[in-house]
Amino acid sequence: MSKIIDAKGLTKIFQSSAKVVDGVSFAVEEGEIFSLLGPNGAGKTTTIRMLTTLTSITGGEASIGGRDVTKEPGVVRELIGVVPQEITLDNELRGTENLLLAAKLHHVPTSLAHKRAGELLRLAELGESGNNRVSTYSGGMKRRLQLVTALVHNPKVLFLDEPTVGLDVQTRTRIWDYIRQLNREQGLTILMTTHYLEEADQLSDIVAIMDHGTIKVSGSPTDLKESLHGDVLVLSVNDGGEDLTSFLKSVPNVTEVTRTEDSYRLKLPKVESALPAIIANIASRNLQITGTSFSKPTLDQVFLEVTGRSMRDAQDGGGNGRTDSYATARRSETK
Amino acid sequence: MITESLALGKRSLTKWTRNPFAVIVTSLQALFWLALFGNSFNPANAFPSTAAGSLGPLQQAFGGASTYITFLTPGVISIVALTGMSFMGVDLVFDRINGYLDVLRAFPIPRTSIYFGGVIQNVAKGMVAAPITFLIALLVPNGLKLAQGFGALNLLGIFATIALLTTVFSTFFTGIAISVKSTDSFFAAVNFLTFPIMFTSTAFFPLSFFPAWLKPVAQANPISLASDAMRLLVVNGTFSPAEVSAFIEDWVGLLIFGLAFALLGIAMARNALRAR
Repeated sequence: MSKIIDAKGLTKIFQSSAKVVDGVSFAVEEGEIFSLLGPNGAGKTTTIRMLTTLTSITGGEASIGGRDVTKEPGVVRELIGVVPQEITLDNELRGTENLLLAAKLHHVPTSLAHKRAGELLRLAELGESGNNRVSTYSGGMKRRLQLVTALVHNPKVLFLDEPTVGLDVQTRTRIWDYIRQLNREQGLTILMTTHYLEEADQLSDIVAIMDHGTIKVSGSPTDLKESLHGDVLVLSVNDGGEDLTSFLKSVPNVTEVTRTEDSYRLKLPKVESALPAIIANIASRNLQITGTSFSKPTLDQVFLEVTGRSMRDAQDGGGNGRTDSYATARRSETK
Repeated sequence: MITESLALGKRSLTKWTRNPFAVIVTSLQALFWLALFGNSFNPANAFPSTAAGSLGPLQQAFGGASTYITFLTPGVISIVALTGMSFMGVDLVFDRINGYLDVLRAFPIPRTSIYFGGVIQNVAKGMVAAPITFLIALLVPNGLKLAQGFGALNLLGIFATIALLTTVFSTFFTGIAISVKSTDSFFAAVNFLTFPIMFTSTAFFPLSFFPAWLKPVAQANPISLASDAMRLLVVNGTFSPAEVSAFIEDWVGLLIFGLAFALLGIAMARNALRAR
């Protein structure tokens, strides 16, 4: 695999405003799904807009497919598909017409454009609705059409800005399926922004957590969560007064044991690997396990670890009054 | 750039033809101008003794037009072009507000093709209104009286002139539409500009009716240039060398306006669409 997106020290300062993006560096390998995860105001949308040539870069540099975003914006636009956060389809045109217009503007030959439009409508399960005006589509149908409209020219990289914001759970799951399918079957590199922890966790090969314009940490969701040193296992044992703390501490990879009145709380990298040995040992002591529960670490806990606050708190008002929606990022540019 | 401009122009025209209400209202605007304004403000009303609708002693002052509506029709065609072109640009303002313009900026197309797409679709829409206005003028009471010898060439000249005037206004107002950030700003700018352009023109009354200080402005006004050129074609079946020369002068004036506004519009579009 080779680097298809390369950002080095990306910085954006809007007029009379603080640094919205502050020296962000990351690389995305070909075929990866890379997510920028963070609350509103983190700088995700501005980062994506700099990479897609829509917002000028104040400092640093970026390339897509080896082509400099600032020096060769026209070439970069040929390589990318962009799906903004808002629905930006033409409601008065039919689904097919939206696709064909996008194809024309990407210089796809007409005969190929018709073939491609048909394929993409089927991919988005809109084959039956292609001849209907977009104004008659449901929110989910529009989102699916918007997604495939960005693929009409077979881009190398797809940029998705909050691809499922405002959608119900069922529609969101379907959109995730399409994203996975595009990545798996077409080898498409995807860079997306999201403030949904579950979305980043479920879809991404690599997650970069952003806050206040900087990347705090990045890695695979599994690695990020494992970096917290693990799962939490709570064992309720009828120990008859026998303290099992020393034994539990001796179990390989257990990093922390806390005894409470009627249970033990263990921290370890993977509960699954240690649990059978623990249960067998306790059973050999003729003690009774009365309950077990365990929790996996979440990206929210990772966010908490690196920013000192949870994503939910950050969403609720920790963004210093700034918002990072697509519309706001656009408005900032016009000040 | 031409392919992209045409594709974007076609997009707006497709939507426009699917909304017949907008087509009808735009076209019928001329009916009110001709039937209501043309009769209420008809200077012939001051001379009740003359034949119905006839300008009588004022005919000479009105460029030889036998009726006021004959004089007024080229003016109304020009006014409809002005109002049509000024408001039709609102599509681009909505495109900006709903993010569509931003999406277009991510396509590998020249940014100026977005501007020219707007110009093309507006001109096409404007050209639908012109023949309807002409027909209405022929049908309203005391209406348009064509000169003897009026033929296909005269008609072609009228539509070529209106195409040029429509392009002049479209290049100007599309530049404004692509630059403003809100509908409020757009309508404020349009209202601010259209009335002075309209009332300093010879659309409604001949140049001799204007005070001396306003005459140079009225003479150079694109509506005056187009109205006067079309009047020559309506009132005269054949042309003297002086009239041919006057027609060419009007056209040169319009071409200069068109070129200047196109250059201004391109600059405005580039500035409005660049990455910031």
